[in-house]
Amino acid sequence: MIKSFKQLDGILRGDATRMSAIKDGRIETPIGGLSVVTVFLGAVYGVCMGAYAVIRTGGTDNDAYMQMLASAVKLPLLFFLTLAVTLPSLYVFNALVGSRLSVVSVIRLLVAMLGVMLAVLASFGPIIVFFSVSTESYPFMKLLNVLAAAMAGVLGLAFLLRTLHRLILAQEVIDTPQQLMEALEDDGDESDDEGAEENPAGVLDTVGEGTSNRARSVFRVWVIVFSLVGAQMSWVLRPFIGKPDMPFTWFRERDSNFFIDVLDAIAKLFGA
Amino acid sequence: MRTLLIGIDDLLRARPRVVVGRAHGPRQIILLMVVFGFLYGAVMGSFGGVTGERFWQVVYSAAKVPLLLALTFAISLPSFFVINTLLGLRDDFAKALRALVATQAALTVVLASFAPFTALWYASSADYQSALLFNTLMFGSASVTAQLLLLRLYRPLIASNPRHRVMVRLWLVIYAFVGIQMGWVLRPFIGSPHNPTTFFRQEAWGNAYVEVVRIFMKVFGW
Repeated sequence: MIKSFKQLDGILRGDATRMSAIKDGRIETPIGGLSVVTVFLGAVYGVCMGAYAVIRTGGTDNDAYMQMLASAVKLPLLFFLTLAVTLPSLYVFNALVGSRLSVVSVIRLLVAMLGVMLAVLASFGPIIVFFSVSTESYPFMKLLNVLAAAMAGVLGLAFLLRTLHRLILAQEVIDTPQQLMEALEDDGDESDDEGAEENPAGVLDTVGEGTSNRARSVFRVWVIVFSLVGAQMSWVLRPFIGKPDMPFTWFRERDSNFFIDVLDAIAKLFGA
Repeated sequence: MRTLLIGIDDLLRARPRVVVGRAHGPRQIILLMVVFGFLYGAVMGSFGGVTGERFWQVVYSAAKVPLLLALTFAISLPSFFVINTLLGLRDDFAKALRALVATQAALTVVLASFAPFTALWYASSADYQSALLFNTLMFGSASVTAQLLLLRLYRPLIASNPRHRVMVRLWLVIYAFVGIQMGWVLRPFIGSPHNPTTFFRQEAWGNAYVEVVRIFMKVFGW
């Protein structure tokens, strides 16, 4: 567990996705250990989400604790199911455009992305708990959680696109070693070189200029698909927070969709 | 005592050793926060008088100012840490943290320097609403001043890596978002003369942002 956390830390710091680490066009982040940590972080955030139900009922209602438990289980599920739904089409189109990224590389990359997303999300946990303690308003909590998830999503997907960019770049220059050397220098990672760039590239930085665009477009479209599917998946798996006047259930009836509900929450918050 | 005063001077002038050196241990910074936070809090709580039961309002308010800053800081820190790491700024995190902590201390020093104004205001007006407004103004000005100091402390960091500018802005957003709600939760700070002295308000805590929206709705008659 500690080791996996260190690996996640390496990903967050960008050590795992430096040009020097992926120069053979493969990403070496582990899948198993990282998934465990990711699930754990998701559960932590789920507990923070469920805290609203527990605090609102004063901690006396068993249903509220069930809600907390359900959120802790469902939150990691939300992310992994979203991935499961969007992965097959990603694989097909990635192969269709002739990308040289292997399936394993793609999966490693996506698990690393989930790690980034849930690490960011879990770090918002204390803020969510604090507002749960002090807020009665259900629409406010809903929107706050949507905002936190959106920020985590944006950062995670930015990580994905940038890392992908580097991977494609690394593969392109395998045939032309000189370019690889230049790319490595651009990275500023070779700290033994005194003249190198002062700042080591962060995990969200663009490195070098790439040329292969088709694989990148596939991922760009996929990022949008992932966001939409994720949003709707969160709706399918609701309740996460637990509407005050509704009894606890693991899932709700099929009804409406995520986007209508967010608009509805905004309208309610503004008293319409 | 003398080192403490020199420490304050260093802090306000944003001398490099505030961030880089080890001249200011965390203990000294915390001491500053507690002493000066207490000072302003006590003055703020003296609105309803300092005798009898009202004495406790002074004590509560004094305790709540450092509490407000410390809790807001603690809640905002995890996300700041993770996003810093994600932007590749982990190596500078110790420096960034020192700048943030120093800003907290500076905020209380600035607040304490405003305490005489507040005392004068209380002496000249017994209106609760205007006392509320005046204290908001003092807190607002002190926050703005402290943020200017934070930007100065951050200048070497930004010079070494422009991404620190994004982070310092993000910190201000998160800190303000949490801090405003924290101030709401920890009220009363001043103590309405019509309410009994309590550490927390008896009514539900509520949400500052929801309240603000409600007030706006009322004003505009929606």
